Amino acid sequence: MPVLEKTTEIQPKTSKRKRTNWKKHLVHLFLLPALLFYVWFQVYPIFSAFLNSFFEWNGLRRGEFIGLGNFVRLFTEAPFEETFYRALGHNVIFFIGTVLAKLIVAFLLALLINSKIRGKEFFKTVLFLPKLLSVIVVGFLFSLILNPTYGALNTFLRFIGLEELARPWLGDPNTALYTIILVNGWYGLGFAVLIFLAGLQAIPSEIYDAAKMDGASGFTMLMKMTIPLAMPSIMVMTILTFIGAFETFELIFAMQGSQAGPYFSTDVLATFFYRLAFGSVDGGESIGLGSALAVVLFLMISSATAILLFFFKRKEYEQ
Amino acid sequence: MRRVGIWLFSAVLMLILSACSSNTSTSAPGEQNAAQPQQQPAAEEAKKEPVELVMYSWRPEDKDAYGKFITEFEKQHEHIKVKFRSFKSTEYNTILTNSLTSGTGVDIVQLRPYSGATSIADAGYLLPIDDAKGVKDIPQSYLDAARGSDNKVYGVPLSINSAVIFYNKQLFEENNLQPPTTWDELLQVSQALQQKGIVPIAQAGKAAYLLSIAHSVLGPSAYGGEEYVQKLISGEINLTDAAFKESIKRMKDLEPYFPPDFIAIDDKDAQALFYTGKAAMYINGSYRLETFEKQNPGMPIDILPALAKEKGGETPMINWVDGSYGIAKATKHPEEAKLFIEFLASKEFGQMFSDDLNRLSAIPGVTPKHPLVQKMTQLSEKSMTSYMMLVHFGEGTPTTKTTFEDSLQGLYINKLTVDQVAEAAQASADKWFKPKK
Repeated sequence: MPVLEKTTEIQPKTSKRKRTNWKKHLVHLFLLPALLFYVWFQVYPIFSAFLNSFFEWNGLRRGEFIGLGNFVRLFTEAPFEETFYRALGHNVIFFIGTVLAKLIVAFLLALLINSKIRGKEFFKTVLFLPKLLSVIVVGFLFSLILNPTYGALNTFLRFIGLEELARPWLGDPNTALYTIILVNGWYGLGFAVLIFLAGLQAIPSEIYDAAKMDGASGFTMLMKMTIPLAMPSIMVMTILTFIGAFETFELIFAMQGSQAGPYFSTDVLATFFYRLAFGSVDGGESIGLGSALAVVLFLMISSATAILLFFFKRKEYEQ
Repeated sequence: MRRVGIWLFSAVLMLILSACSSNTSTSAPGEQNAAQPQQQPAAEEAKKEPVELVMYSWRPEDKDAYGKFITEFEKQHEHIKVKFRSFKSTEYNTILTNSLTSGTGVDIVQLRPYSGATSIADAGYLLPIDDAKGVKDIPQSYLDAARGSDNKVYGVPLSINSAVIFYNKQLFEENNLQPPTTWDELLQVSQALQQKGIVPIAQAGKAAYLLSIAHSVLGPSAYGGEEYVQKLISGEINLTDAAFKESIKRMKDLEPYFPPDFIAIDDKDAQALFYTGKAAMYINGSYRLETFEKQNPGMPIDILPALAKEKGGETPMINWVDGSYGIAKATKHPEEAKLFIEFLASKEFGQMFSDDLNRLSAIPGVTPKHPLVQKMTQLSEKSMTSYMMLVHFGEGTPTTKTTFEDSLQGLYINKLTVDQVAEAAQASADKWFKPKK
């Protein structure tokens, strides 16, 4: 009898727990629309690119399964092999250039704005303004500014007597890529300043006061305190810059077209991908090769980002 | 609370079901079309129901003219409305590929000529139009630009383009210069113009395709006309032949007579140099005639065909079919689309097209109104050869034509030599080109 009493006591508890569990699962249903959206627009295209890369393509028609055939062609056959490594080199230059032209300048500007200067808000707004424009608009505007015939930059240089500096900025293979890197730096500067500023403002001022009392110089404080303590924001910006540099496309496309001229001097992996997957005006597309390149690009960026994250995390722990 | 949960679950389920059911209804029209012959009376009614066809084009500049042509068609078929959607030429292929693969958005497709049309037809995205009224009257050589590998016709050829040298008659007359017909004459005229402070040739090099068009007009001065093209396509010689290399060298030799930093300038800038009278010559397709007459209506323009190999020799017109219009297989209105295609194949449309856009129509029996278009027709009748790179070397990944013109860009920025340009083009052709014996 006491046993029976015990079971009757437990029964309502179990059904209540079951109901609670069911309710818990019901919550997951709310995720379903977002999940479907994510799967359809994010997971499916990646999966589809993986799949397409293993097939032979005749124009828009999928042919036979060829395993790693497209990857082999990409890395061994002319002109793909040469184009791939040249484009990869340009991506690396783009990353290094952007770190120099954008991140370092942005960090210095953030330090300046974080100090006791007048008009902080004004500078923040002015620096962030370019980011409000579409990157295609920026590309178009700079194409006009840099036009060798009537562009504002060369006209200005001639006006102030520096005619020897006037050149076809986007038409000279020695300057075209660096010019685009500078434009990209100008475009993204404000965003980087804001991220760095948030990182700098999170550093407690007491630490600086203590350091000053100990007689630390400004440079020592910058190297030993500011940079290490701002490491989370530096980490975020470096990783974002890395991903951005290896995915860069819009600005080059807007300024130089998909051929990334002159003679591929501004060609990066994304413009190379575009030409492979969609061809030129006259055709010549290869969805298989394009997909193979997309897969390589995905693997490269994801693994390099993971390494960078690991490196930065370790740095953080060390500090 | 439990009830709320059930309601939410039902709502999500309904959403999913409604999504599925809308899919079913999208496939329904296709089934209806297949069943049309059995339901004649109902179909007659359905035909009168308003239908909208969407046509894609890579010529935004022709929008106004197409507005007029479409109004004419809509007068004849009141229940059909045609929406003209144009895209930037360089982005057109990507947009079209996306529309065709998704099976939505387009009914009438503008097709790139030759291999461009073949690849789309072979992929099964188009309906054959061999039986459309007017198609069989179009010359076979023009229809070749819109055939699939199954030899069926998938597009109505729109116009015949000619690569020409436009020149400013006034500038030539003022400087007592005669229009050049040979390579030496072109150099002499260019030198004389340069000495007068006039840009001899308004050539742009930022878009590499302009270089291969220029080569098609200048090249015959080194290798001749159709006879040489036949030797190339029969495999008797290839693109590393001495005469072909000479034609590449001549492109480089002409560089001093192009605008400064020409490799950095757009075609629009080059056009502006020409129609503002700052440059005396401009090389491109005959379609630019319309542009110049719009920008500078009173401008005294004339045209020159390709240069002759020697004085008094053949000066061939460099011709090619510039695109065609086909029907997307995924169209929900194949009957109406066919009616529109038949309109495009009619002499009535061909005449309007030629008159309004100053172009040479591919439709037989059309008499060009514009004296310069008439001149192009007469010159073509005298001597003609195809735009070799586009018509015969337009395949491969990237196409041999693309490889050639990109390499020409490399030549101008001193990254490649003449021999390397020829070798790059031949290496590309070796991958796919089969000589036509």
